[in-house]
Amino acid sequence: MSFRSSGSFGAGPGPEFIQTLSEVHMFWLSGMSCDGCTVSMTGASAPSMEQLVGGTLPLLPAVRLHHPMLAEHSGEAFMEPFKQAMAGTLNAPYIVVLEGSVPDDQALAPNGGCYAALGVGAFPIRSQTGQSDRMTDWLKALAPRAAACIAIGTCATYGGIPAAAGNITGSMGLMDFLGAGYRSAAGIPVINVPGCAPIGDNFTEVVSAVLSALQNVQPLPEFDDLGRPLWMFGETVHRHCPKAGYYEEGVFSEAPGDNQCLVEIGCWGPVVQCNIVERGAINHLGGCMVAGGPCIGCTMPGFPDKYSPFYKTPPGSFVSGSISKVYGGGIRRLRRMSMKSGNTVATTWDNAHEVPSAWARAVGHKTPADRAMGFFYKKLQYHGSADLGKLGRKTPLPLTRDILRQDGLDFERPVPVLSEAIKSREEI
Amino acid sequence: MQATFMGERGSGLGIRHVDLDPVSRVAGALSFHAEIDHNGRVNDAHALSTLFRGYEVILKDRDARDAVFISSRACGVCGGAHATAAAMACEMAFGVAPPPMAIAARNLMSAIENLYDHPLQLFLRAGPDYSEPVVREATPELWRRAEGTSAPGQAIHGFKLISDIMTALTRETGELYLEALLMSRFAREAYVLIGGKYPHPETMVPGGVSSTIDTSDLNLILLRIVKFPDYAQRVVAIWNDIVDFFLEADPGYGEAGTVPMNFIDLGQWDDPLAYDAKYENCAAWGERRFATPGVIVNGSLTTTRLPEIDSPVEEFVDHSFYEEWPGDNHPAHKQTIPRPSEAKLSGKYSWSTAPRWHGHPMETGAYARLWTTAMANKLPHRRFVQPTGHSLLLAMPRAALPPNVLEWRMPQRWGTFERTRARAYALAHSTLVAYEHTLIALDLKRRGETKVSGESHMSNRFKVPKGPRTGVGFWGSGRGYLSHHMSIEHGVIQNYQILGPSTWTMSPRDRLGTLGVCEQAVTATPLLSGGPQTAYLDILRTIRSFDPCMACAAH
Repeated sequence: MSFRSSGSFGAGPGPEFIQTLSEVHMFWLSGMSCDGCTVSMTGASAPSMEQLVGGTLPLLPAVRLHHPMLAEHSGEAFMEPFKQAMAGTLNAPYIVVLEGSVPDDQALAPNGGCYAALGVGAFPIRSQTGQSDRMTDWLKALAPRAAACIAIGTCATYGGIPAAAGNITGSMGLMDFLGAGYRSAAGIPVINVPGCAPIGDNFTEVVSAVLSALQNVQPLPEFDDLGRPLWMFGETVHRHCPKAGYYEEGVFSEAPGDNQCLVEIGCWGPVVQCNIVERGAINHLGGCMVAGGPCIGCTMPGFPDKYSPFYKTPPGSFVSGSISKVYGGGIRRLRRMSMKSGNTVATTWDNAHEVPSAWARAVGHKTPADRAMGFFYKKLQYHGSADLGKLGRKTPLPLTRDILRQDGLDFERPVPVLSEAIKSREEI
Repeated sequence: MQATFMGERGSGLGIRHVDLDPVSRVAGALSFHAEIDHNGRVNDAHALSTLFRGYEVILKDRDARDAVFISSRACGVCGGAHATAAAMACEMAFGVAPPPMAIAARNLMSAIENLYDHPLQLFLRAGPDYSEPVVREATPELWRRAEGTSAPGQAIHGFKLISDIMTALTRETGELYLEALLMSRFAREAYVLIGGKYPHPETMVPGGVSSTIDTSDLNLILLRIVKFPDYAQRVVAIWNDIVDFFLEADPGYGEAGTVPMNFIDLGQWDDPLAYDAKYENCAAWGERRFATPGVIVNGSLTTTRLPEIDSPVEEFVDHSFYEEWPGDNHPAHKQTIPRPSEAKLSGKYSWSTAPRWHGHPMETGAYARLWTTAMANKLPHRRFVQPTGHSLLLAMPRAALPPNVLEWRMPQRWGTFERTRARAYALAHSTLVAYEHTLIALDLKRRGETKVSGESHMSNRFKVPKGPRTGVGFWGSGRGYLSHHMSIEHGVIQNYQILGPSTWTMSPRDRLGTLGVCEQAVTATPLLSGGPQTAYLDILRTIRSFDPCMACAAH
């Protein structure tokens, strides 16, 4: 017996398994937001919001969530922990989550209007004239001492729709606001979980990864050069798309609702980093292209302008789509040939020279060319291995049906076919 | 909570200014200011929408085809409703109409959207206001009374005492709170099977949907929808018990949040065989909807015709951070000229506009839909829902609970508690609409009517018309009235206007100084609660009974 390594994972029950943190506060700030990220978060199940805030996940500290849409209290009672965090009297680490982009309202008159407000009375320059505090004031106050800053959604990560061309709010992502030099109190740059809205599980999974890291249970996982979780955004959405096979065979949807590759009705999937078709939108169900929706690049910087106008064929697909139509067309025809034999070949069917399916009458017939091709295909397939083709020819025909017929059971009657068309294999 | 807002009015002796900034457990950013006199009555109220993002500014000068996916993002609570309204505005402007299966799919999606939305409102946003910890602190005598009051609906919802229901309503840990989260996930699972994702669906296109709807999708959707008949029956029983308990305990609760019975709703869920996306026919296809459009003024039904509902609507910005525009105040002609400035309660104080119908502030909501549908008694399809002129009969099919006909009756007095009760019935209503449209979709599929996009679809072959065109989408969300107004030229948007439900309810004062509906409702609310954290609970209950969505109110 030999071992490849003698290492072990963890040292067993011991001092390093004693948790250092019992709770971590989470301050949820809303900028130019639609609350869609919050809605996504409430849909998450890996882990769920109630697991995080309930503190029921072993090894993870409980999350004390301060979220305007979910909080018990309003007004000052709600804002009190925010003020404690700003004053450094919270006595527990905190994470800042930003939903929605950051407006450029620090550039407006400091005691005048703003685009996103939160609470009143925490910043003297605002309360002198009785104005609500600006969300950006809170961001400025809380980000430096946060254990981590997480931007949820494409608005908070890269600006998103509020940063689209022509808007007046000067909106930007959290990285734009804090700058590339920003590090949290735990030394972590801004973490970005893009998507409009993001998959809820993408967010809660990142939160639990950050909590694990703060707890020293696990190192921080890998992020890419834009602060995205690498294991979620390292691949294009096209690679795992259930319709990618159509692209390979050069078959494209011509109208919304068609089941083929969606590139020609506006899908940017081949060049967009996202995991929604693998992970599903919620509980492994749905996902844009899975349901027939073309990818509009909502997880990417530059969304929406870079992917506008929607529903229009992306220009890049002209070359690659045309190539795929040529070679994909060839591939497709070869596959259909194999498939035709795949659906008409079985040991007993071969020996009886029939496909005993009432459904298959129209397409089950084999031509001499089919037989010849089948013969050579099998030769190649079983070459260098046991020849199951030869073995099959020795298999006796079943006698049951002859006996049934002698007993007077005759099923040779016309079959009423339901309205759903029986597709021939050439059409698939 | 103490007064920190230094409005321009002097604070007289005994007058308290209360800042509820932010109002939690509402969608989006809402700050509410109440002035309470020395008798402890609210004598003035201001609803401040404190978030502006610029959706109408962004949509201007943009390709008309971008309207659906961009405007959907105006609201993350009801993005599907916005996407649908935008698709309908495009359809009218482009001259395309969706085939029946696409209309059924949209109806199905938007009914399912309510199945996620209503539970979250009833149990995550409003529900905790009636929970054990809150009631114990605010009104200890009511808690003691609840502990001694048996729940009439026990046979359906399973809670023995009213206090048991209140315990289950507790935020984060209560059984009903957690169940609502789970139910909202089942609904969203159903949604994404044909919507791709939620809150912002990926399959909405002008001229239909791009959903690939196969038999498994409909089966998986059906299996999620059939969880809701029992749930809706329980939810209705729970809220009937809670609402009746409060109304019987103290007549003051009957006064809370009372406003005149002025409702406006555009209806929802088009007849798959009637909707043709043409404005000239909209009165006809509007009245064939599965929820009837209508305007009710002081308790009387005034019209059910979409043009008569829409034409008298005006939006005012006298107290909003926008500049006036040349021309009339109809939403189709309104222009969005944002001017962020210092908030003054006597001047401009909100990012929300003030919409009015013939000058009246109007209420909308999932319950406005119940009102107009019940009163109009015009439903063309009555398999599960039957209006009577004064009530709505909802035939809940058998699941684990036996079949049951629920009846929502138009109440004599309309306020905070009836609003919340009606929202529970709206869950039952939406359940039946979702169930009905799953059956319709299966039926269309068996008939071979599987096409989901119009002849001139939005594929690479489609060209947006070059000439000047206008379009409007009349639709609704979990909170009611939603219209999108679009004008285009050369395929480029000249003006895009969104009028959302919470713009109606969370409206500031209008040109004449008339308060918005929620502002009025709060001034009608007696303060019956004590406790250091719950002193203004009654105000908050009233605000939350509207389910404000500030992202819709100001975009």
